Amino acid sequence: MEQQDRIMDGDLQTLGLQSILKMLALSGKTGTLFVHSGPETLSISLRKGQIVALREEGVPQPDLLMMLCLVNKLDPPRAQAIRAHAGGNMQVALAMLVERNWMSAAEMQRRLEFTITQSISHALRWGDGRFAFHRQLVPIESGMQPLDIDSTLLEALRQADEWEEIGETRLTRTSVARWLPEINNDVRSLGLSQEYIEVLCLSNGELPLQAIALVLMTPEARVARIMSHLLELRLIEVVDTAFETEVQQDISNLIIKCQTTLTRQQQSSNPEQHLLGLVTVLSECINGLLIHHGRYAKSLRGRGQIPYSEVVRYLERRFGNQLQLLSKQQYSILETTEFTNGRLDCTSILTLDKLVKGEQLEEFYWEAVLGLAAFLRMVFAELLRDEVGNSHTGRNLNFAWKAFLTEIDQEIQQYQVYRAQRNAQLSRGRDAIPPTPMGIIQNWNHVPENEGGPYRSPEPRRRSI
Amino acid sequence: MAEPTVLVVDDSPTVRKIVQMTLQREHIRVITAGDGLSALTSVADEMPAVILLDTQLPRMDGYHICQIIRKNLQFRQIPIIMLSGKDGLFDKMRGRLAGSTEYLTKPFDSAELVQTVKKHLVNWQERMPPQHEGMRTRLRRRG
Repeated sequence: MEQQDRIMDGDLQTLGLQSILKMLALSGKTGTLFVHSGPETLSISLRKGQIVALREEGVPQPDLLMMLCLVNKLDPPRAQAIRAHAGGNMQVALAMLVERNWMSAAEMQRRLEFTITQSISHALRWGDGRFAFHRQLVPIESGMQPLDIDSTLLEALRQADEWEEIGETRLTRTSVARWLPEINNDVRSLGLSQEYIEVLCLSNGELPLQAIALVLMTPEARVARIMSHLLELRLIEVVDTAFETEVQQDISNLIIKCQTTLTRQQQSSNPEQHLLGLVTVLSECINGLLIHHGRYAKSLRGRGQIPYSEVVRYLERRFGNQLQLLSKQQYSILETTEFTNGRLDCTSILTLDKLVKGEQLEEFYWEAVLGLAAFLRMVFAELLRDEVGNSHTGRNLNFAWKAFLTEIDQEIQQYQVYRAQRNAQLSRGRDAIPPTPMGIIQNWNHVPENEGGPYRSPEPRRRSI
Repeated sequence: MAEPTVLVVDDSPTVRKIVQMTLQREHIRVITAGDGLSALTSVADEMPAVILLDTQLPRMDGYHICQIIRKNLQFRQIPIIMLSGKDGLFDKMRGRLAGSTEYLTKPFDSAELVQTVKKHLVNWQERMPPQHEGMRTRLRRRG
C-alpha cells in the first residue's frame, strides 16, 4: 500500500529540493513530500501544488507559545491552556489562538509563512539526504492560506544565500548564545540598532537562534549575521550545551560526595572531632573544585592534552593570591597550608593534634574552619563565573551550592552554640566550681538543632557562608 | 496525567536540590519532601511514578516509609529507590526486606541516578491506578 502511494523518491544529490518542489508545483500534486537528512526530517504537505502544512522532526523545535509569552504577546495561563490541547504542534497551537481571538488570522498566516520559509531555506542547504513523495497523505487543514511554491522558494533561496554570505561561522539554527557576564554598562552607548538590541536581549543562554528568529520574525540568516557581529563585539558568547551538561554533572557529583562526607562526620562525639571533620570536608571540597576547574577552565579547555604543569601554574596563579590575602588579613592558620601540585595541602592542619592539645587545638581548628569556608566560597564563585557564567546551568548550580553551604553553615552554627554555652559556663564557673571536660562533651551532644532557634546569633550569618 | 513525577525524599536540602536539578535536565518533573510525613502526603497527593527515598530521615526512617507505601494497595506498585550512605550488605538487605525496588549508595553518580530513574519510568502509566485522584484534589472538591 505504502509502496503504491510513493510515486517518487531518490536522493538529494541527484535531484535537489528546489527542483523537486518546482516539479510538484508544476504538476499540481497533492500529497506529502518527506525529506530526510541525518536526524532531521521535513514533511511538506501539498494540495494541488501549493504548500498547506509543514512539519519538522528529529531536532527539538522552539516552543512558540513560550516565545510569545516572553515578548508579552500571550499570558502564561493562556499558553498553558493551548499547550495542553495542541500537543506540541505549532500549526494547531496557532489555529487555536485564532479561534479564541488571542491572535489575528493575519498574524497566524504571517507566522506560518515565516516558519515554512525558514524550514525550507534550512533544508535547501542540506548536502545529502533522501526524499520521497506520497500522494495519498493528505494533510489536516490548519486554517492557513495555501502558499505558492515559487514565491516561497524564492524567499527561502535568498535566505540560504544570506547564510552562505556570513561565511565561516560556527553558528547554526540550534546555537544558543548568552550575554557575557562582564558586560554591565549601557549597551545603548555602543550605537546598536533596535534589531541588534532585540537579538542581544533574547540571547539569554536558553533560546536557540531559530527561536529568536521565530519570535522576532527576522530570518534566521539575518539573526545569525547579527549574532556574529555581537560575538565580534564580545557582547555574547555561544553556549555549548553538551559542555554545560558535563560541567553540571561533575559539580553535582562533587557536591553529593562532599555532602555525604559531611553527613558521616556529623556523628562526631566531641567538638574537636567535629571541627576536624569540617576541615576534612572543606579541604576535600576545595580540592575537588580545583581538580574540576583544572579540567573545565575557560582558558584550558578545548586545547587538547595540556601538560599538567601548566594546569598547576594556572590554578596557583588564579587562587594562590586569594588564599594568601585571606591568610594575611583574617585567618593566619591558613598560612600553614600550601598549594602543592594544584591542590591545597591541609596536612599541617589535619595533623595539628600532634603539636597542640586542649583548648588551643580547638581554637586553631575553629579558625581553620572559618578560613577554609571563606576560601571555598571564593573558589566556587570564581569557578562558576569562569566556566558557565550567568547561564541557566550557572544559576542552577548556584542554588544547589547554596543548599550545600547552608548545611555547612548549620554545622558551624552548631559549634558556635556549643562555644557560647561553654563560655557562659566558664564565666559562671569562675565564681563557682569549674565545669568538667566531661560536662562539655555532654553539652555537645545535647546542643539543640538550630533551625532559627534561640541560639542563632547574627555572627554566623556574617562570618560563615 | 501528562508527565511522570519523581518524588525525592531526603532531609538534606543539598541532595534534594542536586537530584531535582539533575532530573529536571532530563525533562522529568520532580517534587521533594524533607521528612517522612511530608513524603507520605506527597505520595497521596501526587501519585509519583518513582520515589527516591533516603534511609535516614528525621522522625520516621526510610525503611518504615517504604513499608507503609508497600502495604497500601493504591501505591504499592510505585518503584522505590533507596538512597543510603551505608553500603553494607546488611543495609541493602534491610532495604530489600522493607520493599525497596533498588538501592543506590551515596555518593551516587548523576549519570547513574538518571539511568536508574529512567529505567523505572518505563511504562509508568501502566502502573498508575485508573483515574487517580490526589487527596488535595478531593479536599478541594469537597471544600
